[in-house]
Formats: sequence, structure tokens, C-alpha cells
Amino acid sequence: MIVEFENTLNTPDAVRAFLKRLLDDALADAVLTAFASPHSPLPMPTLMIDSQLLDRAVPLAPAAPLNTARMAARVLSKDIGKRIAVVLRPCEIRALIEMEKLSQCTLDPAILISMDCFGRMENDRYLELAATQDDPESAFYATPDLQEAVCPSCRACLRFIPENVDVTLCLAGQSDKKGVTLVSGSLKGEKVLKKLGGTSTDLPLGRQADIDRIMARRQTHREEMTTGAAARMADMAVFQQTIANCLNCYNCRVACPVCYCKECVFVTDVFAHRPEILMGRAMKKGAVKIPTDTTMFHLTRMAHIAHACVGCGQCSSVCPSSIPVADLFITVSEKVQEHYGYIPGQDPQRPWPFLVVETDKQVE
Amino acid sequence: MATREPKIIALVCNWCTYTAADLAGTSRLIYPANVRMVRFMCTGMIDVKYIIKAFLEGADGVFVGGCHPGDCHYINGNVKAERRISGLQVLLEQFGIDPKRFTLKWIGASEGPEFQRNMQEFTRTIAELGPQIESDMMIL
Ligand code: SF4
Ligand code: SF4
Ligand code: FES
Repeated sequence: MIVEFENTLNTPDAVRAFLKRLLDDALADAVLTAFASPHSPLPMPTLMIDSQLLDRAVPLAPAAPLNTARMAARVLSKDIGKRIAVVLRPCEIRALIEMEKLSQCTLDPAILISMDCFGRMENDRYLELAATQDDPESAFYATPDLQEAVCPSCRACLRFIPENVDVTLCLAGQSDKKGVTLVSGSLKGEKVLKKLGGTSTDLPLGRQADIDRIMARRQTHREEMTTGAAARMADMAVFQQTIANCLNCYNCRVACPVCYCKECVFVTDVFAHRPEILMGRAMKKGAVKIPTDTTMFHLTRMAHIAHACVGCGQCSSVCPSSIPVADLFITVSEKVQEHYGYIPGQDPQRPWPFLVVETDKQVE
Repeated sequence: MATREPKIIALVCNWCTYTAADLAGTSRLIYPANVRMVRFMCTGMIDVKYIIKAFLEGADGVFVGGCHPGDCHYINGNVKAERRISGLQVLLEQFGIDPKRFTLKWIGASEGPEFQRNMQEFTRTIAELGPQIESDMMIL
């Protein structure tokens, strides 16, 4: 079902109006979306019950200080009988779907809402924009130059159209239009749109052309990114240079939505080496760098989750040493995902490749 | 080419390949001294980090030996290991580690000669490939 909604309002306002209707008409008990607090323009994921407050929500702001899927998974860690509408970027939806497979959340009570994604800016870039613009959200959609100022992984993201959502907010091909076109992607979504009662319509005319235009540009960026990243890990020696400034702070792991282990082995005693071990290692080579196991950490993290990397870029964004962690991950995961024929976030029914056992090989 | 003897780490399952190694020993079958063996209760518990660690510590090759499909004592640990290791090969190849440097083979408890043959073959392959990384320059 395709519905045109509030075609007198500008697009971000129409989206806010849509979210308010969800609460006002009791179609959802709460909305989780980006909200700029009175204290900073940087929007944080916020669980909202009071529809008045949604006036200050910025669901389309080109900022995402963290992968909101992680926050959504907290609200959805169990079904408490409340329907939660969550507004996520396509990469965050992919992450949430992977997290459900890992029993980190349940999507039964969720109404998943996502948008054609133009990308997110790094926090400092967004704050710069917000310092000069009263309405950074609208400014972003009206200014193609700003859309080029998104983070590297967004510039290289080819999966910017939502999959597996209940409602898609069509933004591509929308720049000079008013209102927002809502598309249902499931029965749940269709029910919501029916109750909303907008005028039924077709997909926005210019949408496909706009998608194609964005896709072409991103393919170029992606090629540049993966070629560059491949060269930075072509062998162990260059990889040492690439990660030489890593502090083993593990921010990249904490930020990653699919690095889901509650207790990562790298923060356990396994890697909290006793002095004897450190001395032993130093003896072997004459010296040992502390923190130890930097290469080990990066390779192991890749081996554990490259098949599930959703390409959100958060690992790069949080790195204090400006290591292009996401470039490396995205490049490696392309190959690994191809190997397993596994596309994260694509099929909610499909288990992680490590857990699949070919039945003909199983014991009778 | 190799200026030193290749170092090979074999990660083997207690119930099959390790027993096969034992049998090879009691049958006085000689296999290359390059192979250092680590015993696991099942190949299914060999996390990729053990293999990565072996390479980073200077191994030139890693051999994983498990029970034949259908024979795993924990039902299907071996086929899970196979899937995991196949992905690791794809990953490490991008870091310049030749996938031929690690291999997974099924060697049953009674296959002493099979164990010997595998060790000889794998050692030869690794010797031909030469040393892996100069671990001296690794930050690790
Ligand atoms: S590895 Fe980086 S880009 Fe991939 S899902 Fe994790 S945080 Fe996102
Ligand atoms: S965030 Fe950067 S510095 Fe910290 S562990 Fe990851 S790569 Fe290393
Ligand atoms: S018990 Fe031997 S591989 Fe599982």
C-alpha cells in the first residue's frame, strides 16, 4: 500500500506529523527516534511517549552518533505488550535483524520504519552545520553539496533503500515536493497506513531515477574505498602500518551493532596478560608493545563478524586514532559474505552461516 | 625460499586425529618433526582466533584435523569447523596469507598411515610456499 501523507507540509514536518499520528491514534505506544535535546543539536535516540515532544524530533537529520539498532534492541529485548515504532536507517534495520537472529531482541512488538537514506554526517560535521543553520534537517535535503559531506561508509553504501521494514518513508526524488510518500512493506505496515487514511497513490515519479543517480555515484565511491582499503591490508607488513596507531581502546567493537558478545574475549583475563607472559614475549623478540595483541584483535574481530557487517561505519566514526576500520571491514566483508552467500539483514529467516549444517553431512 | 625449517601447528581433535597420531606413533610411522600438535576436544571448539594466533606467532602453516562427517562426538562440530575455516581462508587471503597454508582434513582414529601421509604432504606444501611472515616486524 502506498499513501501520500500531509502534502501541504515540507517533508521533515510531514514525517513528524506521521510519527505524531502513530501516538495520537494509538497505533503505537511509543516511538523511538532521533531527538535533539535542549542541550545540544546532536540528535540522540529517544523513546518518546508524549506526541507533543515529537515536534523536536529530527528523524531525518543526517546524524547518527551511534548505531541506533543497539538502542532499539534494548527497548525490544523482550515483548512487554507495548507496540514500539522505531525509526532507523537501512543499515540499522539490517543490524536489528541480525540482532534478532542472535536472540538480542524480538521484533514482534516493533513497527519498523525506515527511509531512503542519504547518509549521515560525522558528529563534528553535523554540529558545524547545526551551528550555521536553524533547520539542518531541511538544509541537508535541499543542498546536494551537503549530501556529499556524509561519512565515507555512507558514501560507499549501496543498500540505502530499506529492506524488511513495515513502513518506508520515500525520500528519493522528493527534494522539491511536499509531504511524504509512505510505503508499507508488510501486513503490519499496511494496517498502520490503512488506519492513517491518507490518499492512496503511486511511488513518487522521480524516485527511481534519483535512486539510480545516487547508486551510480556510490558505486564509484565504493570502488575507490575498497581499492584503497585492499591496498592497506595487502600483506601483514602494510597492515601493521594501517593499524599502527590503534590504542586497543575497543571503541570500534563497542560501537559495532553486530559485535554482540556481552563479554568480548579481548576484555577478559585471556588478554590481561600476567607479567610473566609479558616478560616472556619481550624475551622472545627483545621487546613487546603494550597494549599487546592489536593485530590479533582486528583479525579476530573480522573473522568473527565480517559475514554480518552491515556497513554502518560506526567503527570508523568512534576511532580516536582515525583508523579507517569500516573501510577495512566493508572491503573484507564483501568477499566473506560472497563466500557464504550471506547478506546480513536481507533474510530474517536465514541463520548465521556458522550455524548452518549441511544436512547430508550430519549424523543420522 | 626457506632459510629455516617450516613451523607447522596442527590443531587436532582428541577423538580422531589425535588418536590417529597416537596410532602412527605406536606403529612407528615417522612424520616430520616440523609439526607441533595441540589437542582439542573437538574441531568445533577451535575458534578462529587460535589459527590467527598461530600465524601471528610465526607458524608457516596450520593444519586442522577432525572426525569424518557423521563421526563427530558432538554431532556436527566438525562440519561447523569446516564452514568457519573456509571463511577464514577467504579473510586471511586478503592479508596475503595463502589459503594453502591452512587446511582441514578428516582423519579417523584408526587411520595412522593416513595421518602420516597428511603430515608429510602438508609439510611439503608449506616448505614449498616458504616462510610466512617475518614475525620480527609484527606489532602483534
Ligand atoms: S564492523 Fe563497522 S561498519 Fe561493520 S557493522 Fe560493525 S561498526 Fe558497522
Ligand atoms: S577504535 Fe580505533 S584505536 Fe580503538 S581499538 Fe578500534 S581501531 Fe583501535
Ligand atoms: S569430536 Fe572429533 S571433530 Fe568433533
